[in-house]
Amino acid sequence: MQKASTKRMSLLIVCALLTATGVGVWIYQITQGLAITGMNNGSSWGLYIACFMFFVGLSAGGLIVASSASVFGVRDFKKVSRPAVLLSTVCIIAAAAFILIDLGGIQRVFNLIIHPNLTSPLMWDVIVISVYLLINLVYLVLLRKPDEQRSARALAITSRFALPVAILVHSVTAWIFGLEIAKAGWYSAIMAPLFVSSALDSGLALLLVVLVVLNAARLFETSRKLIASLAGLLAVFIAVDAFMVLSEIITMAYPGAPEEAFVLAELTRGTMAPWFWFQVIGGLVVPFLLLVFSRLREKTPVVVVASTLVVLGVFCKRIWLLLTSFIEFNVSGAPGLAFGRAERTATETWTLVGTYSPTWAELLITLGVLALAVLVYTLLAPRLFGTLPTHALHDDDSTERHARADVLLDGPQAAAGTQAEVG
Amino acid sequence: MTRLAIAISQERCTGCQTCVNACKMENNVPMGMLWNRVITVGTDVMDGAVGSYPNLSKEYLPLACQHCENPACMAVCPVGATYKDEKGRVLINYDLCIGCRICMAACPYNARCFNWEEPVRDPDFNYGHRDVPVRPRGVTEKCTLCKERTDADLEPMCVVCCPTRARTYGDLDDPESEISKLIREKHAYQLLPERGTNPQVHYYK
Ligand code: SF4
Ligand code: SF4
Repeated sequence: MQKASTKRMSLLIVCALLTATGVGVWIYQITQGLAITGMNNGSSWGLYIACFMFFVGLSAGGLIVASSASVFGVRDFKKVSRPAVLLSTVCIIAAAAFILIDLGGIQRVFNLIIHPNLTSPLMWDVIVISVYLLINLVYLVLLRKPDEQRSARALAITSRFALPVAILVHSVTAWIFGLEIAKAGWYSAIMAPLFVSSALDSGLALLLVVLVVLNAARLFETSRKLIASLAGLLAVFIAVDAFMVLSEIITMAYPGAPEEAFVLAELTRGTMAPWFWFQVIGGLVVPFLLLVFSRLREKTPVVVVASTLVVLGVFCKRIWLLLTSFIEFNVSGAPGLAFGRAERTATETWTLVGTYSPTWAELLITLGVLALAVLVYTLLAPRLFGTLPTHALHDDDSTERHARADVLLDGPQAAAGTQAEVG
Repeated sequence: MTRLAIAISQERCTGCQTCVNACKMENNVPMGMLWNRVITVGTDVMDGAVGSYPNLSKEYLPLACQHCENPACMAVCPVGATYKDEKGRVLINYDLCIGCRICMAACPYNARCFNWEEPVRDPDFNYGHRDVPVRPRGVTEKCTLCKERTDADLEPMCVVCCPTRARTYGDLDDPESEISKLIREKHAYQLLPERGTNPQVHYYK
């Protein structure tokens, strides 16, 4: 016990330090401008926006699993509602943080509220993410007392809003890219389904990793059987994601049109190839093979490895999806585009293709947001599940496991509210 | 209605880059960025030729904001900082711009520049026209069709300074204007018409 709390303490300290560093560098960025990042007039978005997409996606898994459990009455999955919704909340806050960090004119950010333009997908996203965050918070509050008749009812209603909004959040984020006719690699009807499917697999994968960690930290108990069945669902999500990627790639490849061919060449053999192939092999094929056999996915370490690979794979996908479309300029020719920095020499001022690599400042800020997310989760987790019955949300056929959980977490009185379910 | 525009003769353009510098001076464009560029099409060296000897060709393309009739940049701007004014110019309200740069991703012509840093000028003073607003760090900027000049019924600086008179400025909505006639008679074309942005800037040979 002593050991567990020192571990937790050191995790908190490390995260707090990293967060503080990130905040410090962000303040520096505000004073200096985005010039301290690697972004430029060619690649005008970079790591921040990739992380924004990534975290919006990660946030999906939690809420979609929790709310569809409620909407479709998948009793088993309801058990993980609390860690899942907390994960979803923390991830969407991180995503929103990345959007704010990416703004060049943060001091004018209130214009989003006083001067909105409703034709902008970015505006849609601001609205939908705000609603989504609100739903997450309501969900969390309700999950604190799920055994009360009233909050069970409210929970059932909230979950019916949560599911469509969760899907919408990922679609709208996709449309920020998918509606840009300027970019051959983005402008595609598959963008929204593709985002939703990578949100599903990466989000569920992260949830699985978190559940295993919580198990180890004795903060929240999830049975091996439930982990295995969630892992089975993950295998299905991976297959759907792979199918979407395949559909997109084959549609781009088949006509052999020059613009699409360029994007494809960059992906499969060019600068983006490591990211692309890692995602395809490490993020889709390998984890799918690990999870598709029920004997393998019953082994928790296998699930952890596969899930981690899926999360990393989707991160790689965010990177290639974002950057590939910045490489070629639609109207190109020497000397190219003015890069956007004064101190560069005459020859460096020009760039014939979009180039980008993140700077230290960007990496530190990104790490800071990551640490903040872990910090918030670690701080809130014991408050949210430590003192509360974990199984009050569901009635369970496996009384044996049930009883064990009772003893472990909250004592027998918690069994009272089990039938309070609506829906 | 008025739809101000420029028509550019690619036959006349010699790639001298005069309009590039005229624009930069007039509009106080900081170091490291340009509102107007002249590219040599299809090569990675300036003034380079395309093809293999002796079948060579060389083509220059002056490139700035196309003042699209259906501006992709305007639709996506979350705060409505990018707008089309009553004279058909696509402009940016720098007080509204939050620097999200979705407009840069949306513009098919890479016409927009961003103030990544505190603007640097060399020589170190505002060399632009006194009425041209000085843009702060963190906002996007691009060709305004020399708003301050065209508001005063003067031609844009690139049009005035072009030594080969490759540029013609005027109103597309006036069928008798020189630019409308040129576009009709020379079968002028637009850049990337398939993007549906419908540029007001036209090219002809
Ligand atoms: S050229 Fe680009 S910046 Fe200019 S109006 Fe068209 S889309 Fe907007
Ligand atoms: S960078 Fe400025 S002008 Fe461009 S879309 Fe964002 S707010 Fe609008």
